[in-house]
Amino acid sequence: MGGYWSGILAILAINVIFAYGIFLPVATGQLNLGGAGFQAVGAYAAAYMSYTYDWPVALTLILAMVVTGGIGFAVAFPILRLRGVYLVLGTFAFAEVVAGLILNSETLGGAIGLPVPAFVDYEVPVVLAALVTLFVFYLMATRFGLVMRAVHDDEVVSDLMGVSLRGVKVAAFAVGAGLCGLAGGLYAHTFTYVEIQAFNALVSINVLLFVLLGGTQTAFGPLIGAAFFTLLPEALRVLLPQLQASVASLFGAAGDMRAPDDSWRFVILGCVTVLMMVFRPEGLVTRTLVERFKPRRRSGLAAAEASA
Amino acid sequence: MMPPLLALQGVSKSFGGLEVITDVAFNVEAGGRTALIGPNGAGKTTLFNLISGVYRQDKGSIALSGEDISDIASRRRIGLGMARSFQNIRLMPHLSVTENIMLGQQARAGSLADMLTPLSLFGRTKWRREAEELLGRMGLDTYPGEVVATLPYGIRKKIEVVRALAASPKLLLLDEPAAGLNPTETAALSDFLAEIAETGVTLLVVEHDMGFVRSLCDHAVVLNFGRKIYDGPTGSVQEDPDVLEAYLGRRNRNEDAAASAREGIHAA
Amino acid sequence: MLIAQQLVNSLMLGSVYVTVAVAFTLTIGILNFLNFTIPTLFMLAGMMGWAFAERGLPFGLSGPLPWPLALALAIVVAIVASLVVERFTFRYLKARYGDATEHAIPLVSSLGFLLIFENLVRIAYGTDAQRFPGPEADLSVEIGGLFVRLPQVVSLVVALAIVLALTILLRRSNIGRGLRAIAENPDAATILGVDVHRIVPVVFVLTGVLCGLAGALFAISYGEVSPTMGDDIGTKAIAGMVVGGLGSIWGAVLGGLIVALTETMTINYFGADTVQVAVWGLLLLVLLLRPQGLFGHNAIGKGKL
Repeated sequence: MGGYWSGILAILAINVIFAYGIFLPVATGQLNLGGAGFQAVGAYAAAYMSYTYDWPVALTLILAMVVTGGIGFAVAFPILRLRGVYLVLGTFAFAEVVAGLILNSETLGGAIGLPVPAFVDYEVPVVLAALVTLFVFYLMATRFGLVMRAVHDDEVVSDLMGVSLRGVKVAAFAVGAGLCGLAGGLYAHTFTYVEIQAFNALVSINVLLFVLLGGTQTAFGPLIGAAFFTLLPEALRVLLPQLQASVASLFGAAGDMRAPDDSWRFVILGCVTVLMMVFRPEGLVTRTLVERFKPRRRSGLAAAEASA
Repeated sequence: MMPPLLALQGVSKSFGGLEVITDVAFNVEAGGRTALIGPNGAGKTTLFNLISGVYRQDKGSIALSGEDISDIASRRRIGLGMARSFQNIRLMPHLSVTENIMLGQQARAGSLADMLTPLSLFGRTKWRREAEELLGRMGLDTYPGEVVATLPYGIRKKIEVVRALAASPKLLLLDEPAAGLNPTETAALSDFLAEIAETGVTLLVVEHDMGFVRSLCDHAVVLNFGRKIYDGPTGSVQEDPDVLEAYLGRRNRNEDAAASAREGIHAA
Repeated sequence: MLIAQQLVNSLMLGSVYVTVAVAFTLTIGILNFLNFTIPTLFMLAGMMGWAFAERGLPFGLSGPLPWPLALALAIVVAIVASLVVERFTFRYLKARYGDATEHAIPLVSSLGFLLIFENLVRIAYGTDAQRFPGPEADLSVEIGGLFVRLPQVVSLVVALAIVLALTILLRRSNIGRGLRAIAENPDAATILGVDVHRIVPVVFVLTGVLCGLAGALFAISYGEVSPTMGDDIGTKAIAGMVVGGLGSIWGAVLGGLIVALTETMTINYFGADTVQVAVWGLLLLVLLLRPQGLFGHNAIGKGKL
C-alpha cells in the first residue's frame, strides 16, 4: 500500500474513533462542542510521555485514554448541570481553556509544540478503530445504550422510568472523552508532532458535524459520517482546481491568489450540513433505515413462545 | 389494619403564587379502580405530577403503602411500585416497541450487570423475552421491531400503558388513557385495563369520558379548582350537587367545557 | 495614568465586542438560537468592504470604489447573507418529536453557514490579512495626557447609539412588541396574531446590520481585515454575552466592556498568550457559577437550543 493511502486510512481511523467519542454524549442528548479540547489532552498526554520518558506506544495510548476520560469524568459533573445553549457554550469554552493552558505551558512546548519520537503506521489506528467500533456497537446493544437513547428522546420520562439521568450522562460523557483522548494519542503518534493550533474550534465543529450528519440514533451514524467526510475531499481532489478557478474569477479575484487546499472541503461540508438540516435533520442513518435492512422477524414468533 | 396503597393528606401546590392544588386528601385502596375527574384545569395532571414526583408538593404528604414518599426522588418512586402514563403520549419516538417496553423494566434492571448485558446481540435475553411476552399477552406482538414514531395513535396509547406495566407496579397511574380514541377503541381499552386490574394492579385513572369511567372504575374523586369536591362511589357522582355545580355552573365562563362535561355526564 | 489609559483602551476595544455581543444576545433572547454565523457576518462586512474598495464590484462591474461606499455596500452584503441564513435555519424548522437533536437544528445549520462563508471568502481572496484603504490621516488625539484614537471613539458612540435605538425599537414599536411576544412564547405569539414568518426575518436583518456596522467600524479603526478576523471577535462577543446574561441587551453591552477590560489587563500583566485562558475561563466560571449572568433571566436558552 502506498504512503498516500496509508495516510488516508490512518486519518480515517482516527476520525472514526474521535467521532465515536463525540457520538456517545450526543446520542444521550448532550451536544459536545469541545471535542478538540479532549483530543488535545490525549494528544499531549501521549506526546509528553513519549518525548520525555520514551514510554512505549501501547502505554502512552492507554494513558491518553485514561487521563482524558478522567478529565471528562471530573468536568462532567459541573458541566452537565448546564443544558441546551449553555452546555454547547460550556463545552466550547472548556476546549478553549485547554488550548489556552497548553499554549502557556512550557513543559508542553507552548506555541511550538512537542515532537513525538514514536511513529505508528496506519495498522495501529485501523485496528483500534475497529475495536472501538465493535465496543460502541456492543454498548448500544446493552441496556445502557437503550437508556442513552431514551434520555436523548425524553429526559423527564426517562427519569420517571427509573433512569439515573446524571449517571447515564456522566458515563456517556466520560467514556466519550476517553475515546477522544485515544484519538488524540493516535494523532500524536501518526503525525509525530503535536502543536496546539491543530486542535482549534474548527476541529470541534467538524467532528460534531460528522456525528450529527451521520446520524445519532444508531452506532452506524458516526462511522458513515466520518468515512463520508474524510473520503469525500479525496474523491473531489480532481474536480476542485477547476471549480476554484471559476469561483475566483466570479469574485474578481486575481488569478495568482492560491486558496488553501482545505477550503473547498469545508464549503462542501457546510453546504451538506445546511441541506441535511433542511431535508433530513436526523442524519443519514436513522433507526428506521437500519430496521428496513434487518431480516424481518416473524410476527407470530413472540406469541408462539408466550403460549408455549 | 392495612394502610391504603396510596394516601394523600393536605396536599397543596402553587406555581408563581397561584395555588393550583389546595389541601387535597384522599386514599386509593389496594385492588381498587379509582377515577380522578374534574373540569379542565382542575389540577388533575398536576396531582399526578405530584404523586409521581415530577413536582414536590408545598404542603401535605403523599404515602405509598403507609410510607411517606415526599422526599423520595422521582426516579426512585417507580421502584416502590407505582408507574404512570402521560396525557400526551410520551413514548420514546426513536425506540422500537420492544425497546420502549424494556425501558419500562428499568426500575427492576438498574444494576451494573444488567446495564452492561446486551439485550439482543447474542440471542434474546430474559429482559427482551419478558417484554415480548408482555406484548404478546396484551395482543401487541404484531409490531415488536417497529420504531414507535411510525405507529398509529391508538396503538401507541396502548403501548404506553404496557410500558408502565413492564415495571410490575402495584399502582398504575393513567393520565387520560382514552383521550383521542374512537368509541370502539375506547371500549377495547376499557376491557384491556379491566384485565390488567384483574391481575391485582390498582388503577388511578384521570379521564374526561364519563362512560369510560363508569365502565371501568368503582370509585371516583372529583377535583374542581384544585380542591376535592367529591370522594365516593362512581355510581352517585352525577347526583352530587357540588359536582353538578362544578360542571354546569361554569357554563357562562366556559361554554365548551361545560357542554362537553354535560355530554359526558349524561352519556354515562 | 497607566490604569486610566488602559480603561480608555478597553472602552475602545469593547465597542466592537459590544455590537457583536448584542447581535448574539438578540438572537438567543428572541429566537432561542445560538447563531454561529454572527462572527462570519462581521468578517464578511470587513472583507467585502476591502474587496469593493480595492478591487471593485464582482464581474468587473466597476473599478475600485471609495471606501465609505464600499463599506456601505459591504453592510448590505452582511444583511443579505444573514437573510440567507434565516431562509435555511428557521423557515424549514418543524419540530416533530421535540428531542435533543431537534433543538439543535438551527445551531447546526449556522455552523454549516460559518464554514461556507468563511471558506468562500478564503477561496476568493486568500487567507492573508489585507490593509483596508480607510482614512489616510493619523486620527489620534491626546486628551489630558490620554491617547485616544478617533475611529474607535466613533465606533463606541455608534455602538451605544445602535443599542439605544434597538432598546427603543423593542420597547415602543409594533415590531418590537411582536419580537418580545415571540421571545416569551412562540406558540402563544402565533395565537395572538403575531405573524412569526414576517417578524423572524427582522431579527436577522438586525443581526446583519449590527455585524455589518461592527465589521465596517473595525476596518476603519484597525485598518486591517482578514478572513479570520471574526474568530477572535466572535469569541470575545460570546464571552461578553454570557457575562451579561443570555438575552439581555444591556447585559451584553456591559459584558462586552468587562471582557475588553479583562483582555487589556491580562495582556498588560501576563502577556498576550494568556488572554485566551482568561476570557474563556471567565466565561466558563460565569456559566458554572451564575449561568444567568449579570442581567439575564434564567429561562431563556435553558433546556432548549
